[in-house]
Amino acid sequence: MRGMTSGTPARAGIGLRAPHVDEILATRPDLGWLEVHAENYMGGGPALARLEALRQDYPVSLHGVGLSLGSAEGLNLEHLARLHALADRLAPCLVSEHLAWSVSGGVYLNHLLPLPWTDEALIVVSDNVRRAQDRLGRRLLVENPSSYLRFLDSPIPEAEFVAELTRRTGCGVLCDVNNLVVSAVNVGLEPLAYLDALPADAVDEIHLAGHAENDADGVTVLIDDHGSRVRPAVWDLYEAALARFGSVPTLIEWDTDLPALAVLQEEAAAAERRLAASRGAGHHAHTS
Amino acid sequence: MLTLADLQRAMAAALLGGDAEAVSAAVAPDALDPEARLAIYRHHVRTSLTAVLKDAYPVVCRLVDDRFFGYAADAYVRAEPPTEPRLFVYGAGFADFLASFPPCHGLPYLPDVARLEWALHTACHAPAVNLPAGTALARALAALTGDETARIVFAVDPSVRYLASPYPVDRIWCANQPGADPEASVGLDAGSVHLEVRRTRDQAVFRSLPLGEWTLRARLAAGRSLEDSAAEASTADAELNLADALSALFTQGLLVDFTLTPVREETRPC
Repeated sequence: MRGMTSGTPARAGIGLRAPHVDEILATRPDLGWLEVHAENYMGGGPALARLEALRQDYPVSLHGVGLSLGSAEGLNLEHLARLHALADRLAPCLVSEHLAWSVSGGVYLNHLLPLPWTDEALIVVSDNVRRAQDRLGRRLLVENPSSYLRFLDSPIPEAEFVAELTRRTGCGVLCDVNNLVVSAVNVGLEPLAYLDALPADAVDEIHLAGHAENDADGVTVLIDDHGSRVRPAVWDLYEAALARFGSVPTLIEWDTDLPALAVLQEEAAAAERRLAASRGAGHHAHTS
Repeated sequence: MLTLADLQRAMAAALLGGDAEAVSAAVAPDALDPEARLAIYRHHVRTSLTAVLKDAYPVVCRLVDDRFFGYAADAYVRAEPPTEPRLFVYGAGFADFLASFPPCHGLPYLPDVARLEWALHTACHAPAVNLPAGTALARALAALTGDETARIVFAVDPSVRYLASPYPVDRIWCANQPGADPEASVGLDAGSVHLEVRRTRDQAVFRSLPLGEWTLRARLAAGRSLEDSAAEASTADAELNLADALSALFTQGLLVDFTLTPVREETRPC
């Protein structure tokens, strides 16, 4: 199975957040795997030591938020070196980043900002992904963004942009199903067509999370705040994604208004029921 | 048509409060207009970075209240936005910023409270070191000659920081912790403080030191030689018992390693 070759079980994991670390260390709950934001562990100190303790019992995925793969000025090589050092130390089962930019003129804006889907952007992102993969010595998964705007000059459909990126660089795809639902409402992307346009073999991880629903001057805007349970529309699309991609390792992300660990475990269990159902329906993950 | 680099420069400037016209013109005017869409991104940049500063400076926030803190943080983010993605290193210049921020001039102790909070924050993220057994280090030091002893430069626990203030920032900090007595007041004329901040196990703590001991440790931590540090500490505090102060460096596990400064070569023209 794909999950076996990549070292990540085809199970549900949770995003590891600081307030839950003590409880997980003490009780070692049955979780498929853990994912951490790479930048939080780039300082040494007790946080890294505790993660290394958890690493003994759980596969750990490194999810970067600051590499800025979409930056026209290229990657911050010091940051890439830090990611490399952390990956060497933790031997993560997966390393992922975002199809977005957050750095311009050397300023880091702490947000995953939107790209225009152009040939120029495709060249920029491909160069950056190649450079990152060369330095890390491994394949990177790239996550589809949640969007609040689209650019006028953006001729390539987003899913085609992602598919072409995988062809040019050999990178994998982290399919964030919540982001698809958010972008569908905010910028009119079509989620089912999007899933169909992605190269199924390249999708090695799925993200699930909650979003908020805001009203802006009578227009509904979905905010990707990772601050609530996974919404019904996201579960529905997740089932469609499993039918298309097979049983792919799946992560529950929660960042705002973090609840008790038990709530994340319930959400992970809800994902695992769907993973099991997809296997029962004959949608086996193929060997990659 | 903007190049990608130009588009990103324009959007970065717009998100930090600059002119949004160029990037607005590049955004599709769907049901919601471009400015309202950019405002969603701008809001996230501002609130998330304010939250980062608030996490590092909770006492400053409590002293000035949430609303004013948000105002000062917003001005700081525009003036000195982050330059890299490790957010725990963001905010190093906030104390200096507050010192030069006119609305804060009525609170002269605020920058030093911020410096104490930053010292605690960075101590938490300092690299972990394996401290040598005190006896091993002492044995190595005992093997030095008298000349060499004067040239010792210690490497100290990377989590220690030394700071001094003319204000009782230690008491101000304590009076503004959750659960502190809300009626307690701190007299600003309580005198100066000399503090040592250090991580012990999983948390950063601070304590007040007598001037001589503080001077010795602060100079050693700054990479000055043992001889210079001891001389300065004795000058600062005539009451200092140097032997006890040096012994405490070992018993408290502050010393990680040592090197010797190069011998100064006497030169003469020939």
